[in-house]
Amino acid sequence: MLASAVGLAGCSDGASKPPEESPARNEATPTSAPKEKVEITFWHVWSDKDAGPITARVEAFNKSQDRITVKVLGNQDATKQLTAISGGNPPDIALTYWNNIGPWGQAGAVLPLTDYLKNGKVDTASFVPAALERMKVNGEYYALPFTFSMASTLMYNKKAFQDAGITKPPETLEELFETAKKLTKRENGEITQIGFIPDYPWIDNVFWPIIFGGSWVDANGKLTANQEANVASIAYQRKFYEEFGMDQIAKFRSGMGQRGTPNDPLLTGKLAMMIGWEYNFPEERKPDGPIGIAPFPHPANRPDLKGSGMVSPRAVFIPKKAKHPDEAWEFMQYLVGHESQVEFSVESKTIPSLLPALDDPKLRGNEKLVMMHDFYERAKSKTLQGFPNSVYINEYLQALTEETEKALKGQATPQEAMDRVVARIQPLADKAASKS
Amino acid sequence: MTRTAAATAGFRRRRNKALWTGLLFISPWLAGFLLFQLYPILMSFYYSLSEYNLFSDPEWVGLQNYKDLFGDSKFYLSLYNTVYITVFGLLPHLAFALGMALLLNMSVRGQAVYRTIYFLPTLVPAVASSLLWMWLLNAQYGLVNELLGAIGLVEPNWLVDPAWTKPALVLMGFWGTGTQTVMYLAALQDVPKVFYEAAEIDGAGRWSRFRHITLPAISPMTLFLLVIGLINSFQYFTQGLIFAEASQSVGGPENSLLFYAIYLYQTAFSFLNMGYASSMAWILCVIVFGLTLLIFRSSARWVYYGGEK
Repeated sequence: MLASAVGLAGCSDGASKPPEESPARNEATPTSAPKEKVEITFWHVWSDKDAGPITARVEAFNKSQDRITVKVLGNQDATKQLTAISGGNPPDIALTYWNNIGPWGQAGAVLPLTDYLKNGKVDTASFVPAALERMKVNGEYYALPFTFSMASTLMYNKKAFQDAGITKPPETLEELFETAKKLTKRENGEITQIGFIPDYPWIDNVFWPIIFGGSWVDANGKLTANQEANVASIAYQRKFYEEFGMDQIAKFRSGMGQRGTPNDPLLTGKLAMMIGWEYNFPEERKPDGPIGIAPFPHPANRPDLKGSGMVSPRAVFIPKKAKHPDEAWEFMQYLVGHESQVEFSVESKTIPSLLPALDDPKLRGNEKLVMMHDFYERAKSKTLQGFPNSVYINEYLQALTEETEKALKGQATPQEAMDRVVARIQPLADKAASKS
Repeated sequence: MTRTAAATAGFRRRRNKALWTGLLFISPWLAGFLLFQLYPILMSFYYSLSEYNLFSDPEWVGLQNYKDLFGDSKFYLSLYNTVYITVFGLLPHLAFALGMALLLNMSVRGQAVYRTIYFLPTLVPAVASSLLWMWLLNAQYGLVNELLGAIGLVEPNWLVDPAWTKPALVLMGFWGTGTQTVMYLAALQDVPKVFYEAAEIDGAGRWSRFRHITLPAISPMTLFLLVIGLINSFQYFTQGLIFAEASQSVGGPENSLLFYAIYLYQTAFSFLNMGYASSMAWILCVIVFGLTLLIFRSSARWVYYGGEK
């Protein structure tokens, strides 16, 4: 099963890997005298098709020293990992999405890294703060971020802008609204092109409050989803529905092509602007491509929020019942290290979670990565944020989605909707606080 | 006296021996049942009375989970969605399957071909057929609305409008009734021809032959399909999950696709609330058991077995 991924060092786009990893710069020297050889298991989420880059990292680590051999297994989604961990037969180290760290960490399935971090080679100060913060549950780190996804970009169809005579992308949210109006076309009362849909491709319950400088929980454990900034972020989205019409948007939306295909609505221009992640349109957003990018607009009265956006890191953690936690930690330090993250980012067009890595010449000087350069720069923004991790995070996010949906459809005011979220989830937060 | 006692004892010994031999032979199944079915069932009942997150030891909370459940609006919503898909899905699907079976039971040339063609969709896995139907149900370009528009009917926004998401699933369900049809077909072919001949001599028309001979004769099969269908319908999961992904969510637009089993799964594996999920599972068990009992109780009045007067 794994053989297919082995040896293919992610040559999907011809980005060949320079043969280095010289033992001289070996990052995984054992802290004490050499012990006997150990084999550890590492699980990740990628399927064979996309596992090249991560497999290459594992092989590089195995080559870099001769004590620890890492066996890698892909296609391990959250449910599979959860089952193995709860069944008492977990991998030694695993990669998952950040929002699992809260529930799993607080449930006692994940080893806190506090002691390891004290004596390890990892400098937590060198991580992108917003990415590292997602690994924290009750003040302790339960995982480390291995690259991250980021939504802080406005992507737009250049031709649609040209046709409408728009010369520069909107900088404030007020401009975004006006620009969206200009870019919306109707025929016989039906929308044929739309400027912007705030909940496309999904209701984003994290991104929007961040753009407005909102938050979700304060220092005293009180939930803040119903504070002014968060409510304003929903009221703003609602404006688009009031302007273009709920049914009109729904009808138009149902006929939009599928994302990521040649019929993608942003490519065809049916949708003129959207919230962009670093993995959207990597080829099409090159300087001569059809898709333009700009920093996502900020509220006009809050220029301090320029560069805001949400981060969604990939988390590497050690299950509590891992048989070889020390060796797993050795491998983890290597994996989240500078060189490993740079190499991985080159091959998979992702954003490394280490600040110094963002300026690495291998990324910045690489012509093949021209579509990523802006993103490396924006990943340094001080105003990047994320959702606080906790044991009740998935209930919280679910409640936010449900109530935001009601507010967008006009079935409740934004304030009512967010008040309801707090009423529903505060008991869970209090319970979690009483237990930790 | 003594001799008979000894003989009985010997007989008992032999019978015991036979019993143990028998048990030994079925021991693989027995071990499997005890270990992988009975034990988990009992454990889930214990978990339903505790707070359990899969990793820490369960904390005893008594009936708290059940109390919370009866105050949980999403519990009622998911139950409503599930009952909806059972009432508006199961019964029409069975009626449709019977209709198809009647057609496929006629003596027409090439009937075997029709039977094959009709059964084929049933072989498609639920995930694949759901994805396929999402194409067909696309509000703007889908074939379904194309047809509805052609005959001047309303063209719903199937996957987006909460009022239409469940009817969309019901519609898709008609496509997968091959199994029920084949079973009805078997039942139909079991009805003695003599009855029809006798009825025809008495001057019974088509409808009354169907009403008074066919329906009673296949009623055991109806009972079977109804009970099995009910159990399956209350565990409705895959199709709902796939359709909800169209709106990038777990429960679909306004949770209109939050079926009981989906909510249970979410509670267990996303919220790590195994105790609560276990209590949901037990409530589901009680509901299905109760309904099955009800059907069996009523069956005396409408199910006819061969040989009965």
